[in-house]
Amino acid sequence: MSRPSDLVQGTLDLLLLKILALEPMNGYAISLRLKQVSGDVLQVSDGSLYPALHKLEQEGWITAEWKPTENNRRAKFYSLTRLGKGQLERESANWGRLSAAISNVVRLKEV
Amino acid sequence: MRPRQWFYTLPLRLRTLFRRDRVEQDLREELQYHLEKKIQEYLATGLTLDEARRKARREFGGLELSKENCRDTRRVSYIQDLLQDLSFGLRMLRNSPAFALVAILTLALGIGANTAIFSVIHGVLLRPLPFPKQDQLMILFEKNNDGTRSNTSWATFMDWNRLNHSFTGVAAVSFWSPTFVGANEAETLIGFRASSALFDLMGVKFERGRNFLPSEDVRGNNFVVILSHGYWQRTFGGDPGIIGKSIQLGTRAYTVVGVLPADFPSVLSFDPRKPADIYTPLAYDATLPYACRDCRHLRAFARLKDGVPIAQAEAEMNQISANLFREYPTAYSASGVTLTPLKDYLVGDVKTALWILLGSVGFVLLIACVNVANLLLAWAARRQREVALRAALGARRTRMVRQFLTESLLLSLLGGGLGLSLAWSGVFLLQQVRVANLPRLENVHIDAWTFAFTFGISLITGLAFGLLPAFRVSKLDLNEALKESGKSTPGKERHRLRSALVFADVALALLLLAGAGLMMKSFIRLLEVHPGFDPSHTLTLTLSLWGPKSADAPAVAFFDQVLLKIQALPGVESAGIVSQLPLGGNLDMYGVHVEDKSLPNPEEDPSADRYSITPGYLRAMRIPLLRGREFDVRDVATSPMVALVNESMARQFWPGEDPVGKRFRMGDTKGPWKTVVGVVGDVLHKGLDAPHTIQVYLPNTQFTDSMVILAARTYNDPTSLAAAVRSEISTLDPQVPVSEVATMNEVVSASVANQRFGAVLFLLFGAIALVLTAVGIYGVISYGVAQRAHEIGIRLALGAARREVLSLIVGEAMKPALLGAALGLCAAFGLTRLLSRLLYNVKPTDPPVFAAVLLLLIGVALLASYIPARRATRVDPMVALRYE
Repeated sequence: MSRPSDLVQGTLDLLLLKILALEPMNGYAISLRLKQVSGDVLQVSDGSLYPALHKLEQEGWITAEWKPTENNRRAKFYSLTRLGKGQLERESANWGRLSAAISNVVRLKEV
Repeated sequence: MRPRQWFYTLPLRLRTLFRRDRVEQDLREELQYHLEKKIQEYLATGLTLDEARRKARREFGGLELSKENCRDTRRVSYIQDLLQDLSFGLRMLRNSPAFALVAILTLALGIGANTAIFSVIHGVLLRPLPFPKQDQLMILFEKNNDGTRSNTSWATFMDWNRLNHSFTGVAAVSFWSPTFVGANEAETLIGFRASSALFDLMGVKFERGRNFLPSEDVRGNNFVVILSHGYWQRTFGGDPGIIGKSIQLGTRAYTVVGVLPADFPSVLSFDPRKPADIYTPLAYDATLPYACRDCRHLRAFARLKDGVPIAQAEAEMNQISANLFREYPTAYSASGVTLTPLKDYLVGDVKTALWILLGSVGFVLLIACVNVANLLLAWAARRQREVALRAALGARRTRMVRQFLTESLLLSLLGGGLGLSLAWSGVFLLQQVRVANLPRLENVHIDAWTFAFTFGISLITGLAFGLLPAFRVSKLDLNEALKESGKSTPGKERHRLRSALVFADVALALLLLAGAGLMMKSFIRLLEVHPGFDPSHTLTLTLSLWGPKSADAPAVAFFDQVLLKIQALPGVESAGIVSQLPLGGNLDMYGVHVEDKSLPNPEEDPSADRYSITPGYLRAMRIPLLRGREFDVRDVATSPMVALVNESMARQFWPGEDPVGKRFRMGDTKGPWKTVVGVVGDVLHKGLDAPHTIQVYLPNTQFTDSMVILAARTYNDPTSLAAAVRSEISTLDPQVPVSEVATMNEVVSASVANQRFGAVLFLLFGAIALVLTAVGIYGVISYGVAQRAHEIGIRLALGAARREVLSLIVGEAMKPALLGAALGLCAAFGLTRLLSRLLYNVKPTDPPVFAAVLLLLIGVALLASYIPARRATRVDPMVALRYE
């Protein structure tokens, strides 16, 4: 599956889970939110957003529901499941450990 | 994935699998929603609708690719893709029915032939006998001084039984032909006298009743029988209360004590066409005249003890045999015992032939694969644009390779299914018509093993012929293929590939045809062999006397009565009676001890086929008298003992002398002398391909058998007289069973059934190979010229002569064909050596056969390439050019 190359492997999953933990959202809203929170640093093409969402759905971490939107269109809303909450906690913890470790490495003084 | 996750996502998966339309609809709608929102967003920034649309699309990346990626995230997509590929494949096949038909038929022929031969090999060779630890079951033979094997005698058998430590037991059997006397008629049965240990040794579980008791294996106490399952069904309708009932065999009543299971193979019968019906205890004792040490008519079976290897048992038996030879130096011609696993003994004769058949039929399948691969290549080339379009729309190569493989597997499975029904018909034919005389044929079934085999080779062939086109397609140059013309340039590589296919086809076909040619020539040679008698216009049938009538004098009198009646029938030229029929499957041999030429150990004297005949027999069979006189009415029981010998015997014992007047003894070294009164021509007894043997004829007045064959020479079709002959015999005595009514031509024909089977199968394989090769070359060339219609048109328009273009195209096809023929020829020279054991009087590299096959194949290749080439050059150049 194609992934945005500048995202660390697995990070997109973490971001999506985190965004959905706040509130259920449809795909378009998620793409806006991604851009907004990362300030255009994290470029996720629309084309690769949906496969990622579908994958999370297949894993059972998020679930989808068709709901009407503000202007009465039907849209698919994703929300976090109980399994997803657990996964989010695990991935957050992993991310914390990983980023801390990488920061430490990066901060090493060159001799 | 963890179970809990499965629980959560199962409904999703099921939905993906079974509500594909809904899921697709959802996906489309979801992405559509996204795009629309984007467009709205851009419209708000002041772009025109068109610009907004384009921008949204561009930003999204490949819409279809994204969809496909979404589909990929669903794990069930493999199954789903398969279903989709299958339905797509079926649609494609429906759209090209001619292609589908040729491909499926080709595969059905290849797979069907393989399945049929495999089912025969599995039933005959691979399936174990239905006995526990069947590998331990052995058949034991004495060794002769000339290296051949021989039956054993009761005295020797008893010593083996007493002295060995290698076997859990040894059992012996001898032939028994009892007459079942029913209410209205009598029937001769095929039976055996068997040691009480036999069935226990084999581990038989009785269908009903029990085995013989050791106490019943004693003379005078032995009037009990065990029935075969088939006989029990045939004559007693499977009577469940048969045990304990009494049946009349000859003049004696026998009590039924057991019924064998249906799967008990007729291991004791030596002719697979005649399974044994009935068994009684052996019940010999030392006082019987045929219990002597050199009365070799028993066949011995044994079971190895657990952990005793064959070699060790054989070494022990050889030691025992050497001791016996030392103790009784004139009772054996050599020392030694051979142990043969029972199954090897049963199928040993046909083993090589069957494996060779499987090998050959494998080549047929290879040709089929080559042809279908070729068809698929052409088909794939026609679908280039479709493939290119799908690739451009984001379909990945692996996915397309999978699509193509699915299609070829679909083809091969359809072909396999059809092939299975072909195989089923073949096996049905083999069993019902009994075209071959194979042992264990009743074990041949289209069963789970056959299904597995067919499925397996279908998959393998599907992969084999599907991979090549699939990978070629996946390497397609998109730009080239998508060009408006949609036509691919012929390209050197493609041309090379097609040439390779023609090459392989021809090479394989030549190999098969060489085999077929050799087998046919061998079979024709075999049929041309003169058996020493004239088989035309001769009716034969078996008569067996029982009760008081079977004693010597009454039997001779009865046979004379029968002959008088038969000879009086209009249409009968002559008739005679003989104790065993040449090529009829009997082997009645006696040692001959010629006066002044007998060896110190009489056991080392050779044995001769023994025929007891009435005076009319030689005339009825047209066996020529070369010297001296035939038997006549003066040769009676009380007159001097006389004999006729055949040419081979005269030559062996009295070279350059007149055998008439010479004397010899038969069997017994102390019996009366028999004086040679004449010499007759050699007759082939064991088979048309067997060497000549020495033969002795005796008057049936001086050596009387109760079971004989009547041979009647007729003026017209002998079968038309069968009913009249039967009714004459039944008028004389309705209680005399008549069996095996056949013309002598049928007897000869049955004796070469296996050779015919081999020759016919090889011919069939060769014919299939030839047709497939012709179709293959035809397909390659027609496809090639269709691709090059444009080029051909230009050539013709530029003034090339049709002949030149024709020879150009045919030449291109013939080059690989000739190379293939050359390779096939080399391979055939190497491989036909394997056939040598099956060939009669034909060298495996017989030049005329090779030349004929080569010419035939080249002729067919020429024709198969000439027809499409000619069609191509007939095309109006203008039409071909405008075709663009």
